[in-house]
Amino acid sequence: MKLSLALLLVCALAIALASTGCRTPTSYATADDPHKIHVGIVFDIGGKDDRSFNAAAWTGVKCAETGLLPNGQSCGKPKLDIVLRDVEPGNPTSIEPAMRAFAERHYDLIIGVGFAQAPIMESVARDYPNINFAIVDGVSQLPNVASLVFREHEGSYLVGMIAAKTSKSGTIGFIGGMDIPLIHRFEKGYEEGARAVNPNIRIIQNYVGVTDSAWNNPGKGKELALSQIGKGADVIFTAAGNSGLGAFDAVEQAGTQNGRATHFVIGVDSNQNGVKPGFVLTSMVKRVDNAVYDIVQQVVNHQFKGGFHVFGLSEEGVGYAMDDNNRSLISPDVILETEAAKQKIINGQIKVTDAMAQ
Amino acid sequence: MRDLFNIGLLLSTIRLATPLILAALGGLYSERSGVINIALEGLMLAGAFTAASVTHYLQNPWAGLIAAICAGVLIASIHAIACIRFKADQVVTGTAINILMIGLPPFISGALFLSTGSTPQIPVNKLIPWTPVVIAFLLVFVTWYVLYKTPFGLRLRAVGENPGAADAAGISVTKIRYAGVLLSGALAGIGGAYLSIGQSSLFTRNMTSGRGFIALAALIFGKWRPVQTMLACLLFGFTDAIAIQLQGVRYGGEEIPNQFIQIIPYLLTIIVLAGFIGTSRAPRALGQPYEKER
Repeated sequence: MKLSLALLLVCALAIALASTGCRTPTSYATADDPHKIHVGIVFDIGGKDDRSFNAAAWTGVKCAETGLLPNGQSCGKPKLDIVLRDVEPGNPTSIEPAMRAFAERHYDLIIGVGFAQAPIMESVARDYPNINFAIVDGVSQLPNVASLVFREHEGSYLVGMIAAKTSKSGTIGFIGGMDIPLIHRFEKGYEEGARAVNPNIRIIQNYVGVTDSAWNNPGKGKELALSQIGKGADVIFTAAGNSGLGAFDAVEQAGTQNGRATHFVIGVDSNQNGVKPGFVLTSMVKRVDNAVYDIVQQVVNHQFKGGFHVFGLSEEGVGYAMDDNNRSLISPDVILETEAAKQKIINGQIKVTDAMAQ
Repeated sequence: MRDLFNIGLLLSTIRLATPLILAALGGLYSERSGVINIALEGLMLAGAFTAASVTHYLQNPWAGLIAAICAGVLIASIHAIACIRFKADQVVTGTAINILMIGLPPFISGALFLSTGSTPQIPVNKLIPWTPVVIAFLLVFVTWYVLYKTPFGLRLRAVGENPGAADAAGISVTKIRYAGVLLSGALAGIGGAYLSIGQSSLFTRNMTSGRGFIALAALIFGKWRPVQTMLACLLFGFTDAIAIQLQGVRYGGEEIPNQFIQIIPYLLTIIVLAGFIGTSRAPRALGQPYEKER
């Protein structure tokens, strides 16, 4: 009896471990061609299907591997003939073993997704100076680490303008995921853009939480959105990973009037306009996909350089998404004004505060 | 202050308390029969994932709800068999189930939806935002009735307090405990379903974010009694709702730090637990496997 119990527990734990992301690349490495460039990517806690930040990184590496988007369409860039392996850590403690497993297999490039991985990557990269590393949203001074950082405040400024122009109530909302400096950058840029259009606008700011579970709590995200709608907000910008999807539900629930939604949400990181067409005003896109593709390409061409790789409006690393899902929601005048502001930011005539530099 | 307390706050409290009430009532059936159920978190995740997947496939939330109950019962049966038949350590088994349910849904969703960790979104008109709320509050009173007014309730309590005496009186300790644990799976399953097809419209990995453990705290706080447990859940829901309202509110020109607001629910819990409820006594046989005397 004791034996069968032990077996039961061992089975349960084995399944759990196998599926929480302690998968090492070892198991399939035998079939790989050793002459190809090997790329390993370690995702953030949100996982690669958050329809947002991690999804953008996944799109980028998938494009490099196959020349296709995850939905099977062409991504418009050549495939780079790499071997790609990914890990989705079930909890923060499995990030480091995953990175070390890639490094031990002599991968050519190891990509970490998310600010939280920066200190971990720093310690791993120090132990493997001959391997190239890239960290999205994080910063490292090591020569073998490329820091892929974005000027989110610039893109957020533009969607802040669009929000303020579209709002009828004079109140707009912001929902951040985890309360960290990186997300303050979105918040501050959004606020400045909105105030540039309407100095008296009221902006309600909320955060889902202060731990990493804040990225995965759509129920709380929806409650925050409903509370903001209750206080009069009619456009809500989310920068909260999976939790932001709760705000999408909240605006849909608020309904439509004469065929037009009464409340809108602004998506983040990936183009989320198609998540709930008609309710998504626009998305503050952060081209993590392009940044990740470029760094893979540089490794393939033996041109990898460590240090800062900064992606702002001028590099088209950030921006706002316009497509068939939202063209009818925003008036052409607003687009013209937003485009003018975009040029001014690129020329340096408008300076957007970077909340992380303060 | 006036714009702080309004109907929105009340509704928000009720919505936030609902999954806690369902899970805590589930825990009540299990623990009153003498089996510690630390696996509520995992059982909720099983319910949440199954509800979202089945609702997506059949486009019918009622089917999703029933499937969530079945999933909860199925996972709870692992706990039941390990704890009751094999007399395993109940905390260890519960923890194993929680770990299993962190990994299993992403593993299955990878096969079903080519998406590790989240399910496709369900249209708003296919959600059941209020039914689970009604079910939760009805179940509080059903549970009270079952526990104190029916033979089953008497047996459940007897088995949790003194299984030896219950056995001598001809009650099958094993059967009652199985019933308690499986019921906890069913209720926690509904609680999870509320998260994925009531409150939001999809499953994301670990979406319970600790609600199972808060439900367990509410159960202890409510002294393993249905109505008191509901009140404890409402208190937790209220502190969560008030924390949402307080964010960004300025007090004398200074914004209250977000980190402080986020700890209010936990701070309040400690104060209330330490100061106001007096001793909270667990069912006497809680955590002890029953060895039949020969």
